Amino acid sequence: MKHRFSKYVALSVALAAALAPVYWMFTISLKSEIDHFASPPPWFNFTPTLEHYYEAFVTRSFGQYLITSAVVAVISTLCALVLGTFAAYSLARFRLPYNLDSRLSMWILSTRMFPAIVTAVPLFLMMRDLRLLNTKAALIIVYTAFNLPFVVWMMRGFFDEVPRDLEEAALVDGDSRMGALFRVVLPLVAPGLAATAVFCLIVSWNEFLFALVLTQTDASMTLPVGIAGRVTQYEIKWGVMSAAGAVAIVPILVFAMAMQKYLVRGLSMGAVKG
Amino acid sequence: MPKSRRLSNAGSRRGPLLPYLLLAPAVAVLLALSIYPLIYSISVSLQTAAGWGLGNFTRLLSDNFFLTAMAHTFVYAIAALTCEFLLGLGLALLLNSQIRGRGLFRASLLVPMMLPPVVAGVVWRLLLNPNFGAVNGTLKQIGIDTESLTWTASPRLAMLSVIAVDVWQWTPFVFLVLLAGLQAIPQEPYEAALIDGSSRWQTFRHVTLPLLKPAILIVLLLRTMDLLRVFDQIFILTEGGPGFATETISLYIYRTAFRFFDFGYAAAMSFVLLIVTNVISVFYIRVLKHETQIQ
Repeated sequence: MKHRFSKYVALSVALAAALAPVYWMFTISLKSEIDHFASPPPWFNFTPTLEHYYEAFVTRSFGQYLITSAVVAVISTLCALVLGTFAAYSLARFRLPYNLDSRLSMWILSTRMFPAIVTAVPLFLMMRDLRLLNTKAALIIVYTAFNLPFVVWMMRGFFDEVPRDLEEAALVDGDSRMGALFRVVLPLVAPGLAATAVFCLIVSWNEFLFALVLTQTDASMTLPVGIAGRVTQYEIKWGVMSAAGAVAIVPILVFAMAMQKYLVRGLSMGAVKG
Repeated sequence: MPKSRRLSNAGSRRGPLLPYLLLAPAVAVLLALSIYPLIYSISVSLQTAAGWGLGNFTRLLSDNFFLTAMAHTFVYAIAALTCEFLLGLGLALLLNSQIRGRGLFRASLLVPMMLPPVVAGVVWRLLLNPNFGAVNGTLKQIGIDTESLTWTASPRLAMLSVIAVDVWQWTPFVFLVLLAGLQAIPQEPYEAALIDGSSRWQTFRHVTLPLLKPAILIVLLLRTMDLLRVFDQIFILTEGGPGFATETISLYIYRTAFRFFDFGYAAAMSFVLLIVTNVISVFYIRVLKHETQIQ
């Protein structure tokens, strides 16, 4: 009984520690500026206002950053999914000579292990030479490559779980390889594909370093870069920043809740099947 | 029958090429955007004002800022990894049994780790602000003098603050992976331990820990790689300051390249970081392979 009680205490403390900081930011985004400096800090009793949201997304350019973030995340996710799923299917189903398939898998995984800053410097120089700095295209290209190893590893795991007999039956029935992939295998791995897509969306949406390096104009910067630009300036607009932060969180939370089941697997690149 | 023979013939004609055709686009993209940049970066790192040479690499050894940034990175990584691991393991052990509201608990824990790191930085800047932050506000309410507690603005507390933010954001991840690992352990060894009359500690030491080792190694590997390259939250919280107090290697490379435009030196430093992370990950993977073979 005592043990059970201590368990729920620990649980409540962990819950409060996880959620209270984020809740605090939401309150700042809804408080008028006078309430920001009230002491003791009001957690619940304040009059909510949407003025900071109006200022961030109507008066200032955060609406534009939001659209850029969405466009970049969606297009780069689609590209990574198409390229990665074909590669993953090949690695899952064909044995290549000289162990090439397992060597390629390891090589693909290793490209994801590079610290971002290592490729950020040369990618900046390459994009500068290609005159792609401050364009969405630069970010889409970089994020596609960044998500690709992840898609390959996740989808390879999901393909491995589909029994080969099903495809072989389709092949015997006169389907081509690609036909079997599209009509038999892909529908079976659809939940895994969806989870992988959501992961790529989240990664691209959250990404900061490449976006900071590659985009500096209002027309091209993503939401994290826009938020960071306001933080490091001399005078910080706390309300505006919190409002932008709150909006940046919402799609992430919706997505994360929708694919909870695959979360551990996704975060560990398929290494742990939780 | 004739139909299937025709198709299997067609299959064998295209068969040997198909696996390569499916792989080619992905491999091409990775070559162009992961491998080519590395090669490009090597050539940049070998160019100095005086022409081609190893100048950028010899400069590293006498650059105190570089050595300090490396030391900060390791302090940050070791401290955060230790806290995250111990807290995550404790929570996982505590919750590896039927309790009410586990779904809600899991869902709530997702919140910190799914947050964009930039937003996590914003959240904690708001909380730790000395004048109106909730942390000092709450401490003041319970009668603690907060005069000297300036957190991210204090040279003494800044490193502690950025480590705490990482622990807040990533302990849930360690917890979730270890919980998944715990739940994959079969019941039999526990029943055997119970029959043998093992104490709780003995059961943990000789049953749980060895069986959990692969999950532990994977989570430590993934966290170590992330911690050594940390950039986003520190950039938002302190920008490496005050002074140089929280400057990690990624921040120093960023500053060298994009504030001082010394790309050659930045590239040289990034290779050292790449080698360090590679050596550490190879070490983890060796241990992991060894462990899984034993089992």
